[in-house]
Amino acid sequence: MQNRRDFLNLLCRGTILTGLAATTGVLAYRSVKGGNCDLGTSCNNCKKSESCDLPEAALFRQTVWQLDPTKCIQCGRCAENCVMSPSAVKVTHVYAMCGYCDLCGGYLKPDTKNISTAAENQLCPTSAIKRKFVEDPFYQYTIDEPLCIGCAKCVKGCGAFGNGSLQLQIRHDRCVNCNECSIARNCPSDAFKRVPANKPYLLQGIEAKPEEKNKV
Amino acid sequence: MKKTLALVFLVFLFTIQFMNSYGIQRFPKPEFESGYVQPETLLPNPRAEVLAILDIAVLIISLSVVSWLVIKKRNRNGVFWMSLFALAYFGFYREGCVCAIGSIQNVTLAIFDKSYLIPISAIIFFVAPLVYTLFFGRTFCAAVCPFGAMQDLVAFSPQKLGSRLNAVLGVIPYIYLGLAVIYAATGTDFIICRYDPFVGIWRFNASFGIFVFGGILLVIGIFIARPYCRFLCPYGVLLNWASRFSRKHITITPAECIQCRLCENSCPYDAIDIPVTTKNPESKGTMARKLIFITFLIPVLMLAGGWVGSKLNEPLASANAKVRLAKQILNPVTEKNQAETFEIQAFKSAGKQQRQAFAEASEVLHKFYIGSWILGGFIGLVFGSLIAGRMITKHQTDYTPNKGTCFSCVRCVDYCPVKLPLITK
Amino acid sequence: MKQKIIIISALALLLLLIIFMVKDFFFNNPGNTNPYQFELDNIRKGDSAKAVFAETQQIKTSLEEIHGIATDTSGKIYVSGKDSVAIFDAKGKTVNKFRIAGTAQCIAVSENGKIFLGIQDHIEIWNNRGEQLAKWASLGTDAVLTSIAVKGENIFIADAGQKVVYRCHIKGYLLGKIGLKDPATGVPGFIIPSPYFDLGISKDGNLWVVNPGRHSFEKYKFNGTLLSSWGKASMATEGFCGCCNPSNFAFINDSLFVTSEKAIERVKIYSADGTFLCVVATPDQFESGTKGLDLAVDKQNRILVLDPVKKMIRIFEPKK
Repeated sequence: MQNRRDFLNLLCRGTILTGLAATTGVLAYRSVKGGNCDLGTSCNNCKKSESCDLPEAALFRQTVWQLDPTKCIQCGRCAENCVMSPSAVKVTHVYAMCGYCDLCGGYLKPDTKNISTAAENQLCPTSAIKRKFVEDPFYQYTIDEPLCIGCAKCVKGCGAFGNGSLQLQIRHDRCVNCNECSIARNCPSDAFKRVPANKPYLLQGIEAKPEEKNKV
Repeated sequence: MKKTLALVFLVFLFTIQFMNSYGIQRFPKPEFESGYVQPETLLPNPRAEVLAILDIAVLIISLSVVSWLVIKKRNRNGVFWMSLFALAYFGFYREGCVCAIGSIQNVTLAIFDKSYLIPISAIIFFVAPLVYTLFFGRTFCAAVCPFGAMQDLVAFSPQKLGSRLNAVLGVIPYIYLGLAVIYAATGTDFIICRYDPFVGIWRFNASFGIFVFGGILLVIGIFIARPYCRFLCPYGVLLNWASRFSRKHITITPAECIQCRLCENSCPYDAIDIPVTTKNPESKGTMARKLIFITFLIPVLMLAGGWVGSKLNEPLASANAKVRLAKQILNPVTEKNQAETFEIQAFKSAGKQQRQAFAEASEVLHKFYIGSWILGGFIGLVFGSLIAGRMITKHQTDYTPNKGTCFSCVRCVDYCPVKLPLITK
Repeated sequence: MKQKIIIISALALLLLLIIFMVKDFFFNNPGNTNPYQFELDNIRKGDSAKAVFAETQQIKTSLEEIHGIATDTSGKIYVSGKDSVAIFDAKGKTVNKFRIAGTAQCIAVSENGKIFLGIQDHIEIWNNRGEQLAKWASLGTDAVLTSIAVKGENIFIADAGQKVVYRCHIKGYLLGKIGLKDPATGVPGFIIPSPYFDLGISKDGNLWVVNPGRHSFEKYKFNGTLLSSWGKASMATEGFCGCCNPSNFAFINDSLFVTSEKAIERVKIYSADGTFLCVVATPDQFESGTKGLDLAVDKQNRILVLDPVKKMIRIFEPKK
């Protein structure tokens, strides 16, 4: 009786172990191969590797959450749905794209009569954007990050009137990288995705930066 | 390089009307004469990837140490200190992510969605506790899981619930597991993470609702020890089953049970099976009748469950974003001073076709249809087994921990008067 | 007894949590109100009262993309776009359509009927039968040509990429550069944050160039001497909004300016000295986000607005 029970136990244990091993093996193999990459070449020899979004050797690659600014519709949910308060999503200023405009659509309310730094003229609900004169007619705008709540109001303004140099991004010094991002599930435009941890930002226009440096 | 810039710009011009919501790329750069240097856009890096290996190492070492403490040393103190460590590391330091409970969903998603590349740490957090449980019982629950550690700390006045109540409430984790798998497999949501009760406390930062949720669970935990582990935890279901086939398991007594009943009330989790000495063993006839009844009952319950589940596939699928979008396209909701929902706005600005949205939604619905049949059948099976388990009385002579539900916390060991100094030394 | 009460209340709490989870998961949709809404709609509607023009006709173009519009002395309308140029008569009937290589961002027609196209970095000259007469050399790899004006033997080319206006002889050689920053002559230099940079020649024989980053018009002699400028940055109807506006302009009644803006899509008329006169088209008449409303005025003083999103020529005339 006791022997039979032990044998059955061993059998079940063996089955479960085999199952676990098989699952692990399949998943690990897939991740090593790079998921749905069906090019069949190793990453080192792949010509696409520079533009490739798939993490190389994905098995040891951690992923982090990031939002794609081209999909963002500035609905304001980032400010309210993050597990952190204030949100880990904040506006990021891509200086390389900024027009340094005097009349900044991301800084001033659209119905502003005078261009000044007066609080009632500022678009940002927390006055997190700082304006500084550079030279005629250019002004520099910087983000006071602790103040920013990620509401995207300035992003909308900059997109409408300017170049779109203000973009929402998950700031990885604040993001705790939840297994499932709680903003992602509330994002109406499906802009959140897991990205390889070695390329944790999806800013627009930031790639152009080294080239512009060369020009100077 | 200039050519590429120009090209990029041209491409941009071509797509102007499709990217209305988005501005035009910076063009060209202002030329500053005052020597102004453009600041760098600061982009803080996420946690170093190497630290994932540290997490794995801590997990494996903790599992090994706790298993050794439970099986070899039978030392409650050691287990207690290890649980504090787990709470500190996996709870407060790692802020509850990555965790074994949530990894069920990562694994499920990776199985069903080939484009999701699961990191090795998630696989290991899923597999390692199961493997250890197959050999040593639920030592993971004892002192590696920060959830258990957290609730263990507040179990001041645990009440006995009685076997019937335990059995009925014990069904909830199965349903939770089933739902978690179906929602992860369809790429809808990770519900386990969504209703993770303690992350807010570990992060010192969460919405009010989550704090209240965690707080209430801890209050319940004073009287009903480890309520999450026993009556919610979906990973506990897997561990429960793995533990039943474990090679070794904690025993209350190191030698022979002397039926002193001292340990009877020592378990806060009602996980000690008390001796059942049936004086009048059931006749062969009743046994056979019971068996036949059960073999009929279970398939019937599974079919009924599956049928009911399949009827519920649409409400279940309504949590999926694609299904929700399709619904909103069909029945546009107009709220006060809001012409269209953000979902519809986003859908329009993405320039997708309605046909495409409907096709995606119906694909998801189909997955849910199959999934809810399986889910319903699974729940039917669980209820069937519950009834079967209550009908068949198991013959038992000693006080033993229930291999399925015991968390290997080693509390009961201290109550056993039988000591074997020769063995422990 | 006391134990029972404790157990029952604890279980009730547990049940409450489960109900909360189910309710939250199935019945809690994220709200559709944005407390941080960017209020642009009020401004978009705001100035329709000042509109004294009405849209009288729309001409659909069959081009894939449209970028530039011009008229000639006979009243014909020329539209340039991706890989083609289309010519319409005043009633909107297609007169001719021919293919070109590349996207013509801007177009101008000389008094003798030659068509000048700015194709990214170079100029091409065609006739209205669709024959290429000349193709000039590139003005540099950074060149992005956004506007052309022809007057007699002079052709002026606006290059947004290099922030300069070229003055060329109609035969193709360079006569000079206009608008490069020079403190000695008071030329402020063009600020062009986005690729919209328009110019035109007024009846009195001077060159007017938009300096979009300064929200102003600058008046130059053909030799490059800055004569005067006007303009006001403002979100209000009277000024030019955003980072860089106006995006396009044309002359009407010899000396009045018809201007178009992006971001707040509106077409307005200013006097020669920059006094705001009236509104031609209001933002609500365009799709939100429409950029590059090129303008032309035909022989009958109708204002032709090129709508690149709706891909049509929209004709505005004063309300009766």
